[in-house]
Amino acid sequence: MSTSNVERGITSIESLGTSVHEKGSWWRYVRRNPALYVMLLPGLLNLLLFKYLPMWGIVIGFQQFHPALGVLGSKWVGFKHYIDFFNDPYFFRLVRNTLLLGVYTLAFSFPAPIVLALLLNEVRSIGFKRVTQTISYMPYFISTVVVIGLLREFTSPNDGIVNAAIAALGGERIPFFLRPLWFPPLYVISGIWAQIGFSSIIYLAAMANINPELYESAVIDGARRFRQVWHITIPSILPVIVILFILAVGGILATDFQKILLMYSPFTYETADVISTYIYRVGIESEGSNFSYATAVGVFTALISLIFLIITNRVAKSMSETSLW
Amino acid sequence: MWVERRASAFDLFNYAIMAVMSACFLYPVVMTLALSFSDADQLGNATVGIWPVGYSLNAYRLLLSDDRILRFYLNTINYAGTGTLIMLISTSMMAYPLTFRDFRGGKLVSILLVISLFFSGGLVPTYLVVLRLGLVDTMWSLVLPPAISAFNVMIFRTFFANIPASLRESASIDGAGHFTVLGRIIIPLSKPLLATFALYTAVMFWNDFFWSLIFLRDQDKQPIQLFLRRILVLLDFRDVENSTILEVIQNISSRTVKGAAVIITITPILCVYPFLQKYFTKGMMIGAIKA
Repeated sequence: MSTSNVERGITSIESLGTSVHEKGSWWRYVRRNPALYVMLLPGLLNLLLFKYLPMWGIVIGFQQFHPALGVLGSKWVGFKHYIDFFNDPYFFRLVRNTLLLGVYTLAFSFPAPIVLALLLNEVRSIGFKRVTQTISYMPYFISTVVVIGLLREFTSPNDGIVNAAIAALGGERIPFFLRPLWFPPLYVISGIWAQIGFSSIIYLAAMANINPELYESAVIDGARRFRQVWHITIPSILPVIVILFILAVGGILATDFQKILLMYSPFTYETADVISTYIYRVGIESEGSNFSYATAVGVFTALISLIFLIITNRVAKSMSETSLW
Repeated sequence: MWVERRASAFDLFNYAIMAVMSACFLYPVVMTLALSFSDADQLGNATVGIWPVGYSLNAYRLLLSDDRILRFYLNTINYAGTGTLIMLISTSMMAYPLTFRDFRGGKLVSILLVISLFFSGGLVPTYLVVLRLGLVDTMWSLVLPPAISAFNVMIFRTFFANIPASLRESASIDGAGHFTVLGRIIIPLSKPLLATFALYTAVMFWNDFFWSLIFLRDQDKQPIQLFLRRILVLLDFRDVENSTILEVIQNISSRTVKGAAVIITITPILCVYPFLQKYFTKGMMIGAIKA
């Protein structure tokens, strides 16, 4: 018993401790550390099945895919689905809505947490700051279904508080969820409500790393609060802002389609139907789903997103020397 | 703080803004709480402020004693628990070998991970894969696909690699293999990391409706979010109307049921997150450095 333990101990030392310096053949390494490869197996299998197999599945965008025939048996149609998408009667509306919601998000939802973090950073009372922060994180933990359910409750024409206020002021009750005009603001506001607190964490963390001496010398120089924020706080967190901005622009086409699915209806398709919700309706929801067409539209969107990401990264690199790569 | 000062006009203004904002975050939850305890007869179509209109527990009584709704709730607990556990275990096991600099094949695995970070098959191919694997209408369709994320594996690896090598070596002298080192040394030393990611993952599963919507057709397997979607969004109350105990409880309205359903769904998470808050920032920082 004890000998085998000692032996195991020795091989373990070799495999764990000294393996860093060891140069041996592949096979010897695998034989010595089989456990490492066993550990890797579930993750690798998951990666291949749920990440790489779907990537390979992109080929059905170039086929007239039929589940019964499979990928190997289906007919190849080249770029037919891509051309069909450009000629789709909804093409213009889908692209416009996707871009508009993306731009609104970038314009309003992106700066909101930065402003919140700047204000929170100026709160002197630590207790007050902590309580406010905790409260601001709360919406992040509430599901989209509930957020939209509450929004519907609030804006309900009959018993919602918003319409009660409108009626009290002598206005006419508005069925918000049936009006295309109201969809974008509801989308953006509910997004800010849900995300602002949690998104501000990263900026607050960046601010916490600022050297306090910078502020001390600024005070000696007679800099007031606003000047301190402008000349110290903002420049210090600028790299974080730039990187998140690049990512945000790259994700401009990535609308929160799960939320839209809970918000839209044929009444509001005019402003609410975006590329991803269309993919969902065509590819999954409808009877006799057109898998190939939906896949092609998805690939097209992913390509455009990638181009956005690359361009923004270039621009950011040339302007601020901060970039993703 | 660097300089002590009396409160300026700006400070007062700032406190006011923060207070108003906190109220905006809290109000919907407070209103829902009030709605859920309201008395259906007195409520009617009245707008609820911050206090219940009348008082009644009927909505909770209905939800908590109905077998079907209870099953939705248990399904959610099951999916969130299992999904989180699988994610933590498989991610830890994948990250551990990558902490050895000379690990043979480590480069290849890293490349596979990075590619999966930037490219994805998209919604429809992913859906088809799950369909083809025969996972539809099983919980595996929900818990397996998101179990491994390249982002998580990289963060876990960075965290594990920062644990002093001397600790791992001292364990190996006692004859411990890789599994023992991971389970007895690495995992216990990574509690803050694991707590943060357990919370994020559990919240993700708890709040998901989309993947359950497309993968779980059998109603008995559905999580609470799909029930909530039916009553809050589709305004479909068949689940409630078919309730076996509805005859026993009169005086109930769709509005109070909605409120109570929301409250019982969000309460567990809202009770847990404030205590894990100190870990968010740490988790975010590790993520930010890596990203």
